[in-house]
Amino acid sequence: MFIYSIIVATLTSLLFLTQSLKKEAMDVFIEAPELIVQRMSAGRHDLIPVGYAEKILSIPGVSSVEPRYWGYYYDNLTGGNYTLIARNIDALHMVKGTLPKGPGECAIGKGVADVRLTDLNDVLFLSINPQQKVSLKVVGIFTADSAILTNDLVVMDKNDLVNFFALPKDMATDLIVHVSNASEVPTIAMKIRRDYPDTRPITRSEIVRTYENVFNWRGGMALTMFIGPLLAFAIFAWDKATGMSAGERQEIGILKAIGWETTDVLKLKFWEGMAISLTSFLTGSILAYIHVFYFGAALFAPVLKGWSVLFPPFNPIPYIDLYQIFVIFFLTVIPYLASTIIPSWKAAVTDPDTVMRS
Amino acid sequence: MRRKSFVLIVLSIVSAVFLSVSMALAADPLKPTSKDKCPVCGMLVHPYTQWSAQIIFKDGTYAFFDGPKDMFKYYLDIPKYNKSKTSADISDIYVTEYYSTKVMKADGVTFVSGSDVMGPMGKELVAITNDKVKTFTSDHKGVKALKFSEVTDADIPDGHMHHMK
Repeated sequence: MFIYSIIVATLTSLLFLTQSLKKEAMDVFIEAPELIVQRMSAGRHDLIPVGYAEKILSIPGVSSVEPRYWGYYYDNLTGGNYTLIARNIDALHMVKGTLPKGPGECAIGKGVADVRLTDLNDVLFLSINPQQKVSLKVVGIFTADSAILTNDLVVMDKNDLVNFFALPKDMATDLIVHVSNASEVPTIAMKIRRDYPDTRPITRSEIVRTYENVFNWRGGMALTMFIGPLLAFAIFAWDKATGMSAGERQEIGILKAIGWETTDVLKLKFWEGMAISLTSFLTGSILAYIHVFYFGAALFAPVLKGWSVLFPPFNPIPYIDLYQIFVIFFLTVIPYLASTIIPSWKAAVTDPDTVMRS
Repeated sequence: MRRKSFVLIVLSIVSAVFLSVSMALAADPLKPTSKDKCPVCGMLVHPYTQWSAQIIFKDGTYAFFDGPKDMFKYYLDIPKYNKSKTSADISDIYVTEYYSTKVMKADGVTFVSGSDVMGPMGKELVAITNDKVKTFTSDHKGVKALKFSEVTDADIPDGHMHHMK
């Protein structure tokens, strides 16, 4: 029964974890823009002329286009990668302090604040080389709840960022296109490609799909690892349940001899199996819940998360998909029940005398 | 001098009354609640914000539709769905424009039939602002572009969804 619970706990943890990760990522992307336009050069993401926005805006169905300025910055001091982004309007609400209001100010993610030991009103100094450097007053720190989005973020004024990265004039990192009617997104994406063959429009559904695949793939990897234990469990359960000991068979024989019907024996065995498997199932699920949502899936997280110096602190949101629970239930409880009932039925239908003598 | 100001006052009162009456006549579009159902097909209207249409009667009653198609079915045969009303009782008709998803007056837009854009009930008479009809027709294989008053029974696509055929 202990092993039974452990197996259920492992499987359920895995499902809880992937589900919760997926949910968290999806919640983030629900707010993503419908369409992001990147310019490609030699197969790689390149800066896009801000002038592209005008023609894109004239496509019917486009409600607004805004250039985005952002980039990555490798910090020698801490060995972390930061995401530097120029302030744009939908830049998040979960901030302690304020968002930067002008040049020389910045708001930083919790992760950046922690590794740089900076607090509100401190100065954050970033430098690529003697010409490209900037010192910014920290006016806001993003709260931990938004960590998956903001952990490695440094939000700053557009001009500061353009100067810091020495971006050419009238070039942006990418363009965000807002579309009123979601059904029109594919047509608009197609037109943008037609007008500007050097661009790659990325729709929100594509981003969501990619992330879903990544999580499914990682979940699948982990699942493959657990196929071994799962098989072992199946064999164990089968062996335990079918290989009735002589004692157990004798017990059934005696019950029959003192006047029990076959149905009574089966009922008894059914409830016995039910009690065992349900208890194990419940213990297992509860263990999994504690493991994933209280200890942040300490055992699996390394496999599923990826790696980085500045990875967001991992606090899965408790989220349970009933469908998954049912799948686990039917994969563990039902086979166990079947493999206990069938042999007892076999023992119960044979003549008690033979059973006891054998 | 006195007479003049008297005339002015009377004029302003008359015009104020007139304005308020005409304002009362033109009803603003309503927002469907989670309970409003389409009287033609029985579907809840509020999940289809980018399709919903509405007819507002002069007495303040109204009907929501899950798309322009059902609005036309109702409009072209009001007694079938609402015995107490005729087309003379209608105050305003609104539809949701495809590109902007904004609610607009039905007589100010063009309805395109035969396109590959599917509404909640399959083929639709898609409401498009007049200047974008050409774009829409070529992008989405539209067949007929009709003004509100030109739509007849024959132009309404059949009610079957594609996969139900």
